Amino acid sequence: MNKNDIKLVVIVLIVIILLFSLTLFRKKANIANVYYENELILEIDLSINKTYEVDGYNGKVKIEVLNNQIRVVEENSPYHLCSKQGFVSKSGESIICLPNKIIIELPSDELDAEVS
Amino acid sequence: MKKFTRLSMLLALSVALNVIEASLPLFNGYIPGLKLGLANIVTLFIIYQFSLKDAFYVGILRVFLVGILRTGLFSTTFFFSLSGVIFSIICMYLAKNFLKLSIVGVSIVGSIAHSTGQVLTSILLLQMSSMIYYLPWLLLFSIPTGVLVGIICKQLIKFYDEVLSFE
Repeated sequence: MNKNDIKLVVIVLIVIILLFSLTLFRKKANIANVYYENELILEIDLSINKTYEVDGYNGKVKIEVLNNQIRVVEENSPYHLCSKQGFVSKSGESIICLPNKIIIELPSDELDAEVS
Repeated sequence: MKKFTRLSMLLALSVALNVIEASLPLFNGYIPGLKLGLANIVTLFIIYQFSLKDAFYVGILRVFLVGILRTGLFSTTFFFSLSGVIFSIICMYLAKNFLKLSIVGVSIVGSIAHSTGQVLTSILLLQMSSMIYYLPWLLLFSIPTGVLVGIICKQLIKFYDEVLSFE
């Protein structure tokens, strides 16, 4: 490793910090959209604590809403990535379960703000 | 040994490394897409010892072979890998020739380009703009994996030169 390598690492670290700070300043989402094969199948209000069940490609996908947060509790997939991901709550975040072709998206309301 | 034979052996090696690292998920798969990038050792080696063209041949053929063997041809993973490989080869080549970096630095550039390329593809291909928030995690881990790959490649080139001198 030489001096330029260290410079490179420092620049990358700064970029990482900037990208992380983007995450911090996001607002909490109010709703979540559930898509199956890119088709909107369910709209969830995050202010109500409730459990939902939707049909995924490999069977039922169980979704839980708790204290304005949303997570996948149970699903059938090889690695269980989306249930391991845990709770998400900020707009712009999403839970993607590719084997089940289910995407849960927390929409950012920036567009709505522009319209009104 | 002829160049063609050498490149074929390197291609086989890169496929083997890819399969090996797939069986070693880091952090138990909690961060999907995170891996050591061992196959990048071969790509980096070819950029240093052969040419950019050869690196493209071996890199792209590797993605096709791994696609047939493991992930499935023309699946989402396939396109992620393809874009990652192409982007990382271009960036490593530019970094090697225009930035005064050591092989470890070039390796870090490749590792970063691979993650960035994949995230960009997922944003463009799957329209998932939220993937941008996932990028800092991948970038954070691409520094240590890049350093590891760079050090291994440096040793490999040293060893390769020693062995060749006996021929």
